[in-house]
Amino acid sequence: MLPARNQEAMAAAASGTYSYCSRPRALPARRRYREEEPVRYANLMYDRRVVRGNTYALHTAQPDPLEIQRQREAHRKALARKRAKEQHQSRTPEPVEGRKHVDVQTELYLEELGDRIIEVDVECQTDAFLDRPPTPLFIPAKTGRDVATQIEEGELFDFDIEVKPMLEVLIGKIIEQALLEVMEEEELANLRAHQYAYEELRNAELAEVQRLEEQERRHREEKERRKNQQSQLLQKQKETSEKIAARAFAQRYLADLIPSVFSSLRDSGYFYDPVERGLYYFSFFFTGTCKSTQSYFLFSQSLKQVCLHLQKIMLPASCSQGHLKVRIDVLIALLSPVSQDI
Amino acid sequence: SCFLGSLSLALSESDSWGVFSEQRESIPQYRGMAHARISAKLPPDIDPTKAAIAFGERALPKLNEELQSPELLTRQRALMALCDLVHDPENVYQAIQLGFLDNLKYLLLDHDSTVREKTTEVLYIMASHNVGRDGFIKYGVIPALSQLLNDPVDICRRNMHRAFEIMAELPRGAVGIVDSSLISSLVLKLKTELDEIQELILDTLSGCLCIEAFEALATGAVSILKEKLTHPSVAIRSKAARVLLGISVPLEGKNIVWDEEVIPVLVSLLEDSDPEVRANAAGALMNATITTQGKYAALSADAIPPLLKLVDDETSKVRLNAIKALTMLSEAPEGRKTLLNHVDLFRGQLNDSSEAVSRAAKIAIKVIEWKP
Repeated sequence: MLPARNQEAMAAAASGTYSYCSRPRALPARRRYREEEPVRYANLMYDRRVVRGNTYALHTAQPDPLEIQRQREAHRKALARKRAKEQHQSRTPEPVEGRKHVDVQTELYLEELGDRIIEVDVECQTDAFLDRPPTPLFIPAKTGRDVATQIEEGELFDFDIEVKPMLEVLIGKIIEQALLEVMEEEELANLRAHQYAYEELRNAELAEVQRLEEQERRHREEKERRKNQQSQLLQKQKETSEKIAARAFAQRYLADLIPSVFSSLRDSGYFYDPVERGLYYFSFFFTGTCKSTQSYFLFSQSLKQVCLHLQKIMLPASCSQGHLKVRIDVLIALLSPVSQDI
Repeated sequence: SCFLGSLSLALSESDSWGVFSEQRESIPQYRGMAHARISAKLPPDIDPTKAAIAFGERALPKLNEELQSPELLTRQRALMALCDLVHDPENVYQAIQLGFLDNLKYLLLDHDSTVREKTTEVLYIMASHNVGRDGFIKYGVIPALSQLLNDPVDICRRNMHRAFEIMAELPRGAVGIVDSSLISSLVLKLKTELDEIQELILDTLSGCLCIEAFEALATGAVSILKEKLTHPSVAIRSKAARVLLGISVPLEGKNIVWDEEVIPVLVSLLEDSDPEVRANAAGALMNATITTQGKYAALSADAIPPLLKLVDDETSKVRLNAIKALTMLSEAPEGRKTLLNHVDLFRGQLNDSSEAVSRAAKIAIKVIEWKP
């Protein structure tokens, strides 16, 4: 009623001031929690039921017959619509006499309908002394209704500029991780290079030390050998000189020895001419036999024969035999006067 | 792999924000009311093969407990998580304090190969830190690791040998390896292992030989190394020559090297294309020709011309070793006679960039021109 009165008043008061596409109306207040109950009170300012404007100037004009007709038509249309809607609703035919319509389930699996609701008890208990699990990533759920708007490109933000800090962080983290890994490897490689260089030097120095040791050993051994040789040489020299001295002394000592020995031997009568001795003994024998034998002459003749025979034998012999020969001649000479005597 | 992981994390973070809002619209129950679980999509960096790492101080103790769990999957996941954590030396220190090494030693003998692989990998990464190495020596991890020498899985053996190699670079670690009498088994393994692992074993041996060479010599290492000198792989040749260098430092080593007639093979290696091989061969010759018989063996193998060529090589190590080897040879009269003609070559090296080379050249000239 109110908007109609309002309209009348407006039309009556200033015809043609406003024109609308849709008539202004008060919006119902929005309920947050309950949908069913109707609105009791709304904003006073926008409530339809509040009389607006001049209160003493209302109800003066007759309702416009055009308006009344329009209203009636609208009412009629609404009724017709309602009737049509009711007709469209299909009703089941009325039950036959003696029967009653009953609601029945026609699905494949029948459900037991009842007042009692099926309840199931489920229990859950975390393990005692379990370590607190890691916190799940918490992103708060969005509240409210989604409203979409169309945002043209470039209106909100410039992607290229905005993305830079994020990209920097991302790339920074990636590169940091990569650098850490590379550094670990580089550190190891550095250590290896150091070790390599050190080993090279060490081997060279070790070889040098051993070479010098070896050289030292060789020289020392060589020296030892030469010293030994030299000492042996000296030793031999000494021995030789001693030997020479000894020989010289011995020679000198023995030089007198032989003549003195010979002379002493001769003196003691060890050297004799066996022929002379023999003749000497023979002369004794001769004189002896001479005294004993009668035929001295026979004896001397036979002796002469013997001497001549001996001479013959002795002639080709050496000079000692020459002595013997001389002695035999001497003997013959000696014997001749003796024989002549007899 | 960490790098790629972080990259994927960054990318997925950037687009997941948009996805969240779309998803929340589409799931009916999220309309209107706030919910405790934010999204059906899990956070992007969850790796299902790794155990969840507890916060702060509890991380390592919890992993320690998980390592002792009887369930296989728990142990595997704990090991995967541990592998990542152990790159940080502070974590290594804390782990050793908590007694991880005993658990890891126990896990080395597990039936499952994945567990063994990951355990050896964790131990290898720990060994690359100094605290880790100290811990190894203190808790006797080396004998425990050596039980895996005959493991059927290649990766386990490879990680184990890598750990040994790193330990051998430290003198105390090398002492530890020698004390566990591992050298003989390592030398014997050289004959049967894969090439990759042979390289690691050779590196380990060259580290240990600085400490003690007799055990290796007793196992007949020299003959095995002589075969390796003619291997087709360059790395193996150079590493074998390096081991020979180390082995010919003591006198017995030099005698055995002469006995086994390795010197002619080394002379032939002097003309190899790789500078490392040449350097190591010259170094081995340098050590082997200290004895008189070594010198004559080298002279009869005609070592002087290739060595003279190497005096001008680009790599300083090659030059140094060649000059030193020639110094050794010039102590023999025949060598001196030949080298007197080439003294100018040495004079050219007197002003070399490397100080060691110029010193060596000076010494060489002095020795060549020495008159008895």
